[in-house]
Amino acid sequence: MNTLPRKSITAASLALALGAALSTAAVTAHADDKMADKEKCYGVAMKGKNDCKAGAGTTCAGTSKIDYQGNAWNLVPKGTCEKTASPTSPTGHGQLAAFKEKKA
Amino acid sequence: MNTQAKFAAALLDPACPCPSGLKTWTGGDPARRFQVYRNNVVASLIDALADTFPVTLELVGDAFFRAMAGVFVRGCPPRSPILAFYGDDFPDFIGSFPPAAGLAYLADVARLEYLRVRAFHAADSMPIGAAELAGVLADESALPGLRLRVHPSLSVLHSRSAVVSLWAAHQGIGSLAQVVPSEPETALVLRHGLEVDVIEVSPAAGECIAAIVEGLPLGAAVARASSIDEAFDPAGVLGLLLQKSAITALIPSRRES
Amino acid sequence: MTKDIPCMQRSGGASVSRVGALPARGGLGLKPEHFQTILEHLPALGFFEIHAENYMVAGGPFHHYLTRIRSHYPLSIHGVGLSIGGAAPPDEAHLDRLAALLERYAPQSFSEHLAWSSHGGAFFNDLLPAPYHAGTLNRVCEHIDRVQERLGRRMLIENPATYVEFVESTLGEGEFITELVRRTGCGLLLDINNVHVSCVNHGRDPHAFIQTLPLAATGQIHLAGFAEDLDADGHPLLIDSHGAPVAEAVWELFRTVVQQLGPLPTLIERDNDIPAFPVLLAEARRAEAVMAALGDMAVTA
Repeated sequence: MNTLPRKSITAASLALALGAALSTAAVTAHADDKMADKEKCYGVAMKGKNDCKAGAGTTCAGTSKIDYQGNAWNLVPKGTCEKTASPTSPTGHGQLAAFKEKKA
Repeated sequence: MNTQAKFAAALLDPACPCPSGLKTWTGGDPARRFQVYRNNVVASLIDALADTFPVTLELVGDAFFRAMAGVFVRGCPPRSPILAFYGDDFPDFIGSFPPAAGLAYLADVARLEYLRVRAFHAADSMPIGAAELAGVLADESALPGLRLRVHPSLSVLHSRSAVVSLWAAHQGIGSLAQVVPSEPETALVLRHGLEVDVIEVSPAAGECIAAIVEGLPLGAAVARASSIDEAFDPAGVLGLLLQKSAITALIPSRRES
Repeated sequence: MTKDIPCMQRSGGASVSRVGALPARGGLGLKPEHFQTILEHLPALGFFEIHAENYMVAGGPFHHYLTRIRSHYPLSIHGVGLSIGGAAPPDEAHLDRLAALLERYAPQSFSEHLAWSSHGGAFFNDLLPAPYHAGTLNRVCEHIDRVQERLGRRMLIENPATYVEFVESTLGEGEFITELVRRTGCGLLLDINNVHVSCVNHGRDPHAFIQTLPLAATGQIHLAGFAEDLDADGHPLLIDSHGAPVAEAVWELFRTVVQQLGPLPTLIERDNDIPAFPVLLAEARRAEAVMAALGDMAVTA
């Protein structure tokens, strides 16, 4: 078993890389195409999650409990996942059938 | 059980009856009033998760997300009053949640979202200047033993799914229909200035950065990346870290080899 | 003589002082949505208030903006996670975090709630009610003593909005809070919306109830909006939602309090359906206008 890289990591090669890095960093645009296009940032929604309000009142899901270990779970993901291609699924939408607990 | 223990137990478990010892001024049934507390606890914690995991929510839709988050909230309520970091184990929960098993990528998308929140709130740290880095070039032989300290916000996520593309498609970058979810991707997450960046890097680059984060010296970090891709060139990684102001200190080796 | 509120026309806050009390003016809850607007325009406003727990993070944009905003305005830090009404003493690790935050931002006021939010290691993210009797009174006094000792300052305690009452209670809420103030030396954060909400929910006259509170110890006022619901018998049940403008009934109570106590630091709280900044600013200005019109009467009364 030979897991050693064929090209050894020499001080000289690191110096070369670092030198190159310094010059590319100075020229802001980055060459690596994989890195370039997706790094556009959309800041994390800046929300403070702690507050002292009360929400929902008496009419919401505080009491409805869907038990996925029984057979009560009948929800299917119905979001943007339906738009993704899934090669493993004959429908092209992944396996989104309602989850049913297997009976022992 | 004292009053508060009974009250607390009934908040998270809908099977528990309304605690005894409550009253209303009209002498009516307090159960519906107790619901206000029960609803607020569960709904507000689900809302907190929805804020942290917006793309995960979009992927499965509101009804599925809220039901799934509800199961999580009841089983794993926060242990800390700081809600910004609530849900660090929600991605693992999603990964083992049978009704979501059809979406193999969902847990990793949630992991990526959590890393973004972590990066957003991570400690501030001043980057080193290019001049300082250029200085270490003077002693080439010390480079393999050199350790880089990186920005506290920085993390790497290796995924068997196309996490970055899936996430980006929900920010209006690229089309979701073009994404092949089963395509492995490696994400670099860091805060640059006040913004959190998500950058797709090669698996070898990710490995190199992860090794640097772990505190390995440069030579060992590059060796680890090279074991994944023998053509790996550290110049790209180092350039990226520099450009993102992510290198915060240089720690020379303690002179061994 | 409506000169009593200085600096209303001045750009920026009344004071950048790091000590002393909040000015007796209108203030607003600081929302990240408004960080940039505030720094751009530096609107004339008495103070901002933050929820302590939102800033218990290491770094990043929250601290970046709060540091800048703090340099222009007085600050109130309002905790929502100490669980002072809890069965267990306040969490020491949480007190350490609070102490660090107070040290960093030197707020003119620190306040918390007469409520509990943690039990058995779980945090419920809600302000939950406690029964009022000698046992809970002793316990809450001990908790307030510990907080004031650890933080090295006087705190304000806020009267709660509640939806149920306890059979075991033997004291009225006003008596309970009066005793807290007397024994611990803490002040009152008079939440007038909570007074209104609780009084409607428990069939009381808010004007009479408010007089049972230790009003002389009031260090700050909160005004907010509520949502309306119904209980099982069809009686109105008000929810402290902070998701609507301040109701007229609450403004009316506020006028009464200002006539009696004079101008006080008065916060408009909005945590839900947050509108554009000028909408909130207008509510804060309305509070200042009420104080300008009625405040003098109190001094001579």
